[in-house]
Amino acid sequence: MIVIENVEKRFGETTVLKRINLTIEPGEVVTILGSSGSGKSTLIRCINGLEALSGGSITVDGNDVSTKAGLAAARRRSATVFQLFNLYPHMTALENITLAPINVLKKPRAEAEARARELLKLVGLADLASAYPQRLSGGQRQRVGICRALAMDPNYLLLDEVTSALDPEMTGEVLDILAELARGGTTMLFVTHEVEFARRISSRIVFLEQGELIIDMPTERFFAEDGGFAVPRIRQFLTKMKKD
Amino acid sequence: MRYADFTPYDLVLLAQGLGVTVGLFTLTTLVGLLIAALFTLVDYYRVPVLRQVIVTISEALKNSPVLVQLFLVFFGLPAFFHINMTPFVAASLTISLNTAAFAFVIFRSGIDAVEADQVAAAKVYGHSRWQILRFVLLPQAAAFSIGPLVGLLVNQLQVTSLISVIGVFDLTKIGNILNLRTLEPFIVWTVVGLLYYALAKLLASVGARIEKRLRRSVVWEGI
Repeated sequence: MIVIENVEKRFGETTVLKRINLTIEPGEVVTILGSSGSGKSTLIRCINGLEALSGGSITVDGNDVSTKAGLAAARRRSATVFQLFNLYPHMTALENITLAPINVLKKPRAEAEARARELLKLVGLADLASAYPQRLSGGQRQRVGICRALAMDPNYLLLDEVTSALDPEMTGEVLDILAELARGGTTMLFVTHEVEFARRISSRIVFLEQGELIIDMPTERFFAEDGGFAVPRIRQFLTKMKKD
Repeated sequence: MRYADFTPYDLVLLAQGLGVTVGLFTLTTLVGLLIAALFTLVDYYRVPVLRQVIVTISEALKNSPVLVQLFLVFFGLPAFFHINMTPFVAASLTISLNTAAFAFVIFRSGIDAVEADQVAAAKVYGHSRWQILRFVLLPQAAAFSIGPLVGLLVNQLQVTSLISVIGVFDLTKIGNILNLRTLEPFIVWTVVGLLYYALAKLLASVGARIEKRLRRSVVWEGI
């Protein structure tokens, strides 16, 4: 369980997150929607410890991310997929995926590689194991990014706008994999602009507006005429997203 | 045969001078790069105090003439500390430190040139600071640094000629001796110059080969 309590994040004078409360139970797929600059990515970066909290607390399976040991444990339990993939360009797809399992989880190389090949097969990249990121398309790079996350056997998958840098076709190939994972019961915290996709796969939708969590509803309620849709700001956002 | 004529033995002298130059250059390069690597580690791990010290030393070495540094080490240090200093030791010490100061800057910019996004990913995946340096930063920083580093070393090779001033019998010093005896400056300095040129070319071609190997696995975007 990821528990986010009264989380505040300030960059100098700017408050990016205001008293955020959110709990993610195992098996849930929680989507965070919101305009650019609403603090969605910052929230993810607070959970994985790339940003320090200005207030409040976050625990991942009871591990407090504001302590050194807690953060290390929290990072073992969650894995992040990034908007710009953040792959290591001097390593092959396989090496990108096995680096952390071998050096952080201390898995034997053979075992880590076998698992990596399995994952690559799962995402349809079985024959690109020895390709360098440079040679891969954006969609293929992001699929490698997903494999790198899955290779850590995470309890939680943190997805930070993972399709924002991809064209529609590549977006489709990445989303298909995520949908598959969601069906398989992977717990996900999903920051995205893909409203329709979020509707299909998430169990809950959270809406951030200028750093405040203004709505936290089961997906169906969120899209219902008398639910989230009744909130003017949500209606405005959803209508605008549809037009785009 | 007159005293001023060239003799076959002059070639032996030249070879000796060349040997001293190559030996001193190799020694100072190895020591200099080692010191630069240590400086880079101190900087990477942000060791308090020590980090400010090395930045100050490096700044001082980069922003003053090598000849002045050489005089300070050869004449200044012995006078102040009452120690003995041979020309070779003074020359080795000065050029090693000078190479270290410049190589440190090259290494540091090589590390800085690696995208912060990759470091963020490595952190999130639980890698230690050492692992991030070893697996993510160094392989890429090495490829970024090798070009500027070879440029630096070619320059440092020429800089070694300054040590002739304090009486080290390097290639330039031998050139000076032959010149004074034969009074044939055009021939002597052309030959000496060509020898430096050949060494520099050799160094550059070895560097290019290493660079090719370091980059063999990757063609980075944006370079």
